[in-house]
Amino acid sequence: MLKKIVPVAATLAAALSYTTAASAQQTLQTVQDRGYLNCQVGLPTPGFYGLDADGVWSGMDVDVCRAVAAAIFDDPDAVEYQSVTSAVRFTSLANGESDMLSRTTTWTAVRDTQLGLNFTTINFYDGQGFLVPVDSGITSAMELDGATICVLTGTTTELNLADYFRANDMEFTPVTNENVNVLVETYLGGGCDAYTNDKSGLAARRSAFPTPDEHVILPETISKEPLGPVVRSDDSNWGDIVRWTLFGMIEAEELGVSSENVAEMLESDSPAIRRLLGVEGNIGEEMGLPADFMVSVLTHVGNYGEIYEANVGENTPIGIPRTGTQNDLWTRGGLIYAMPFR
Amino acid sequence: MSDSTTTTKTQPLIFQPKPERAAPPSTVGVIGWMRENLFSSVSNTLMTIVGAYIVYTFLSAVLGWAVFNAVWQAEDRRECLDLVGRSGACWPGVIQWFDNLIYGLYPKDQLWRINFGFLALILWVAPLWIKRVQSKVAIGITAVMLYPFLASYFFLGGEKGIIWTVLISAGLTGLIWVWLTTFTEIRSGKSFTRTMGEMLGASGKSEEEQLKFGRLSLIGVFAISMLLVSQWELSFVSTRQWGGLFLTLVISGIGITFSMPSGILLALGRRSTMPLIRLLCTGFIELFRSVPLITILFMFNTMLPLFLPVGVEVNQLLRAIVAVCLFAAAYMAEVIRGGLQAIPKGQYEAAAAMGLGYWQATALIIMPQALKIMIPTIVGNFIGLFKDTTLVSIIGLFDLLNMARSVGEDSRWLGLFIEPFFFITLIYFFFCFLMSQYSINLERKLEAGARR
Repeated sequence: MLKKIVPVAATLAAALSYTTAASAQQTLQTVQDRGYLNCQVGLPTPGFYGLDADGVWSGMDVDVCRAVAAAIFDDPDAVEYQSVTSAVRFTSLANGESDMLSRTTTWTAVRDTQLGLNFTTINFYDGQGFLVPVDSGITSAMELDGATICVLTGTTTELNLADYFRANDMEFTPVTNENVNVLVETYLGGGCDAYTNDKSGLAARRSAFPTPDEHVILPETISKEPLGPVVRSDDSNWGDIVRWTLFGMIEAEELGVSSENVAEMLESDSPAIRRLLGVEGNIGEEMGLPADFMVSVLTHVGNYGEIYEANVGENTPIGIPRTGTQNDLWTRGGLIYAMPFR
Repeated sequence: MSDSTTTTKTQPLIFQPKPERAAPPSTVGVIGWMRENLFSSVSNTLMTIVGAYIVYTFLSAVLGWAVFNAVWQAEDRRECLDLVGRSGACWPGVIQWFDNLIYGLYPKDQLWRINFGFLALILWVAPLWIKRVQSKVAIGITAVMLYPFLASYFFLGGEKGIIWTVLISAGLTGLIWVWLTTFTEIRSGKSFTRTMGEMLGASGKSEEEQLKFGRLSLIGVFAISMLLVSQWELSFVSTRQWGGLFLTLVISGIGITFSMPSGILLALGRRSTMPLIRLLCTGFIELFRSVPLITILFMFNTMLPLFLPVGVEVNQLLRAIVAVCLFAAAYMAEVIRGGLQAIPKGQYEAAAAMGLGYWQATALIIMPQALKIMIPTIVGNFIGLFKDTTLVSIIGLFDLLNMARSVGEDSRWLGLFIEPFFFITLIYFFFCFLMSQYSINLERKLEAGARR
């Protein structure tokens, strides 16, 4: 039932939000008046928007929310996290409930063009993979013909899976649920031959298995999952603020500015650093932010590399190595690339 | 004459019963009961053995997992897995998340406010179970009308203007009055206002005059509470941080409390002879009854904000509560209508013959009977509503179910989801069982009259 309601609701919401477009060019003003940012994350997921026993949110996507809040208020905690199921995420953004959405959402053409929403940029490159028991003897996704596969419902994961099997002329039986833990439990109980999800999630899940060594992630990556924050398309200035906050964090890593040395870097002679930190130029002010908004972001949250290592890096339970992957800086062969900050 | 001579001569034959022998040991006590009920025939014996085996397997599996093999102290789930694998429950995760499961993301140093709020409710309604208290109706009404102000301030906190201060003080006055009147009624059988009237008013004055003094003393209590309330300063806690059992109780509690009176009014409206009222009530009931709760929640949660002007934000929790209330009212209306239709026509005619008007007849004759008949269904509805509130997890409120789901997403307890679900199952069972026991209790009490 949910599946039928959601697209209708989202479309209706998008259609209605267009009608109020003229009066909506003021997200920044609304946020400033409110005094805090409404940032939508998903149901708790470790590494990206995790919730701990003390009730504190943390993760890659949560840090994007914190960075935007720091840019506006110089206070990374001026955020109210709205944790919404993926089924209603776009509706909940389109209707103004949340100011931005930062929750491992894949940038696709349909989402970008048909929902009245805009993707700002990408903060994590993911891809879908498979997890299988070692003793099944399967070593490649091409050997999964006829398999029963556990897959999360209501996400692009489900569609990618169908595409991949159709393209390779193979058959499969899906076992779906919208709760990851139920799926993992089904998989561990032998209810399906393979479990598929974004690779960032597979490694973390496997680490929590009773015997992690008995399961292996297959080498194939069957989809592109560029994940990034999303805003409504009716307020391009607001989209700029989110986009350039994130670009600023990437640029900072490239320039070697981190939360630790940002104070010293204010004295730097490098024109690029001076522009980034607002010592020169008026990039921040033109967006309606303080000139030194990046100083706040870097002081309170850190640069891209720092939030990566703190949330999903090798020293975290998620443990995704960064070197040489798509999520490394472009200068080191990755895809993380910020437009020039000038 | 002849028979009189015979009777006097022979000894009268009197029946002398032998002393009763004790029942054979095999038919009394535990053994007797078991023979009669469990092993009376071959098929019964077989069923008993099979049944006992099923109960044993089930209980030993559940208890073995939940108690005997369980881990009670660990730093994270990996440690649990290393200790017992999957054969025993890993409770430390649930223990660590206990506060979250019960209170949601409410600031940990403010939890006493929630405890106090619920304690106030218990204090408020406790006198209803004390026999000598007479003002039970008044206590019930104040609990519904005034308690919410007191509770919402404790739960929400923040700035309070003049109006809020007055309302909160009214709430506090209510609580104080309930206990003052309980004490005076237990001691002397007279309500607080009457007692105060007699104490303050000079003895010579009429009863009317005395009551006036009694009411004045209530104003005194109000002034004191006003003074107290103006001293209170509680920090603001956004409803976004409400969650867990606390949120479940708030939503279902308000829904249940609201559904009763509004259901009665809707049911009466639907049976009204006035076409407009009948049409409106029928329309409302049919509309909300023919749509699933989840759709109504979606409507209120995601569609409503679209129709509001930019910048106007209605609290999300409030929207969910309104949706639940309207839904519950529509269902309750039909339950009560069922009860109304079971009342024989003679009751209406008898009420009319006694000269009672519509409202009097309804309140004194019809409704008490209709509600009594429907108690099982009404409570069934309450229990259903209590469990239905789990649907709010879909629109992103962290109720008990959603919170339990989050335990297994904490990176320390990743994958731990059977344990928290087991725990909240017990919580749900406790509350639902409590409600159904209360309803059985109530039925027995009310049936006492019928049995006489």
